[in-house]
Amino acid sequence: MGNKLIKWLDERLAITTLWRVLMAEYYLPKNINWLWSSGVLTILVFVILVVSGIFVLMYYKPDAKLAFDSVNKTIMMDVSFGWVFRHVHAVGASIMFLVLFIHMGRGIYYGSYKAPREILWVTGFILFVLMSATAFTGYLLPWGQMSYWAAQTITTLFSKIPVIGPDLVIWIRGNYIVEDATLTRFFALHVTLLPALIVVFTVIHLYALRIVGSNNEDGIPMTKEEKKEKGIPFWPVFISKEFFVMSVFLFFFFYLVFFNYKFAMDPINFEPANYLQTPPHIYPEWYFLSFYEVLRGFFFSETLGLIGFVLSMVIPLFLPWLDTSPYPFISAKHRPLFRIAFWVFVADFVALTILGKLPPTGLFAWLGFIASLVYFGFFLALPIISKIEKKQAASGGVR
Amino acid sequence: MKELKILLVIVVIVGITYWGIEPLAHSIMHKHIEEAIEKYNLPDYKFSDLGPAPAISGDAAQGKKNFQMFCASCHGLKADGIPAPMDPKTAAASFGVVPPDLSNVASFTAENFLYHFIKDPARASEFKKISMPAMGLDDKQIMDIIAYLKSTAKKIHGAELFKEACGRCHGAKYQKIYADTPADALKKYLGKVPPDLSIIMKAKGEHYLVAFINKPQALLPGTSMPRVGLNEEATEDLMKYLDEISDPHKEQRKKVGLIVLAYMLVMIGLTYAWKKKIWRNIH
Ligand code: HEC
Ligand code: HEC
Ligand code: HEM
Repeated sequence: MGNKLIKWLDERLAITTLWRVLMAEYYLPKNINWLWSSGVLTILVFVILVVSGIFVLMYYKPDAKLAFDSVNKTIMMDVSFGWVFRHVHAVGASIMFLVLFIHMGRGIYYGSYKAPREILWVTGFILFVLMSATAFTGYLLPWGQMSYWAAQTITTLFSKIPVIGPDLVIWIRGNYIVEDATLTRFFALHVTLLPALIVVFTVIHLYALRIVGSNNEDGIPMTKEEKKEKGIPFWPVFISKEFFVMSVFLFFFFYLVFFNYKFAMDPINFEPANYLQTPPHIYPEWYFLSFYEVLRGFFFSETLGLIGFVLSMVIPLFLPWLDTSPYPFISAKHRPLFRIAFWVFVADFVALTILGKLPPTGLFAWLGFIASLVYFGFFLALPIISKIEKKQAASGGVR
Repeated sequence: MKELKILLVIVVIVGITYWGIEPLAHSIMHKHIEEAIEKYNLPDYKFSDLGPAPAISGDAAQGKKNFQMFCASCHGLKADGIPAPMDPKTAAASFGVVPPDLSNVASFTAENFLYHFIKDPARASEFKKISMPAMGLDDKQIMDIIAYLKSTAKKIHGAELFKEACGRCHGAKYQKIYADTPADALKKYLGKVPPDLSIIMKAKGEHYLVAFINKPQALLPGTSMPRVGLNEEATEDLMKYLDEISDPHKEQRKKVGLIVLAYMLVMIGLTYAWKKKIWRNIH
């Protein structure tokens, strides 16, 4: 019966060939570690977000008067297991960024953004921007105090853009302040356009991956034939490890969902939005804190801060062209200089994230300024490191 | 081994970040709260800034007479068949807030607070514009009234306690409890509409709430919420209630959570076994 069905389908859809090409005869290098599971983990989290999102969408009301209660009463209290879906969705959004940061960090450490994987890097970057936009629009929806004031603060930034700024803000908000019109348009973007674009770019991302293949720990370029000989097939070898990584990840994920969700659901957001009462501390969700801190880091000049903020978000896009050193200088494993720069960068990113939540006064303001400079310092050091490494490569290469 | 090392590095980085944006950031952002709590040694159920009540034993029968003379023009006492003198609307229009029924007030309010409140409401409540006047009663008269209030007071819990202690100003609309006083009257009297308390426990947490209710001025200087003088037992009872209504699925969450985690543990075992089997011939 099963065989018959497969045969029937195969004659019409060539599914066995498809399976071979996509799964059983797609080879990965052997010298990769579980960080190469991070890509599939992002897909897993995305699926979790979509499924939980559809469930909360069934009861959510995109109206400034109803939104808060529809989330905090209807979904959290009345619908059976509604709270599970809300917790899963909120924690999922947060964990998506943790997984994305690991995924990007892996890409940077092992030089996966370098030729020939530039398109992978660029589409990945676009996915990050889309995911950020989805998270930002989604955070407004429960219409709590921090939802409101984070949206108010961030949209205000656009007003600093010369000439068109003030009109642009009103266009984005649909009013002079964040209110019902803002909520409904953020809602529309959050549930339709942005997730659809994420799907489209994920497909392009994966297509590009199929063409150039996965990088590996040592950054050794491999042809398809070499991989076939020395590598492992995606199915069942790679996937068996992937499932194990997924299980461990889900254990951690559900621990957060049920027992430790406060980091993803800020207490102050359980107070309804009140446009007359500014909270004493306004901060975005943790995954934007580093960029937010660059904005505040240039505390002596609003314009510089804004430029820094935009640059800090955009500059990772240009990694493949800032860092051009050739093989063997691909993976940080074999690039002592780059390795130092990488770890300084990671430490700096953590520092920026923490400082982003602290009040920007006194010592913290200066630390923020220095950390912002170090952030850009990493990217500016790359051309210099490349130059040194190119010389080494020309003189025989050091391994 | 290498895989575990990578995991360890990531756990350390994530751990440091988490420590920075949660415990560290909160301790810095909420410093003024902790300082106030320490300075006034909150919660202070003795209301030590007010001092003790005089050591006079009151007479409930005389107290009832005093009550009818001095208090019944504003307050009802249903437990003893004294109805509210005005309907809520008229009362709210006259005083800005509906004066509470005093049937059980002595069971949830500290005795020395009650004494000082009746003597000088503005001082005891730390709300200068409070609309109950000081009536210039002497200590004996007040202690008689307190003896009377005690004779009628029953212990009340949960929603009932909430309604009698806070209900003139606050509602909990998710429990279909609405403030006795109309919102616009409250706004005029207090400068703002007091927040709904349905999920206040999630927003503020017990540590803050206990201290805030005990001495609002310490944590929100200049606030128009009066100190209401809840005693320890009533505060704890109220906290339990606010916790239950803000998080009604706590038990379910723990139970489902454990089941899901147990399931994931099994999955970890199964997937690990499968991986071992497949990878046996690789390397
Ligand atoms: C002019 C009207 C008026 C009179 C007379 C009056 N009260 Fe009040 N009382 C009020 C109002 C109004 C409130 C609520 C004030 C607020 O919460 O802002 C109140 C509140 C109270 C409270 C609640 C305090 C708390 O901790 O929550 C007590 C107890 C009380 N009154 C006792 C008395 C007693 C005893 C008398 C008689 C000696 C009396 N009142 C006379 C108007 C009055
Ligand atoms: C006389 C009216 C009145 C009474 C009675 C009253 N409150 Fe309030 N409450 C207020 C007002 C007004 C505010 C707003 C304070 C502000 O923001 O300055 C408030 C605020 C609060 C807050 C929020 C504090 C914050 O940090 O934002 C809590 C919690 C609270 N009240 C709890 C209670 C509880 C519990 C009771 C009963 C034991 C109670 N209140 C009784 C008027 C009242
Ligand atoms: C929704 C978001 C994303 C999804 C679903 C996704 C998915 C994937 C998957 C499945 C892989 C292959 C498995 C792996 O190597 O981990 C991969 C590889 C890769 N991704 Fe992503 N990705 C996303 C976002 C990003 C971002 C934000 C970046 C960087 C800016 C990025 C850069 C890369 C790179 C460079 C590779 C190749 C890595 C290598 O072979 O070493 N991706 N992605």
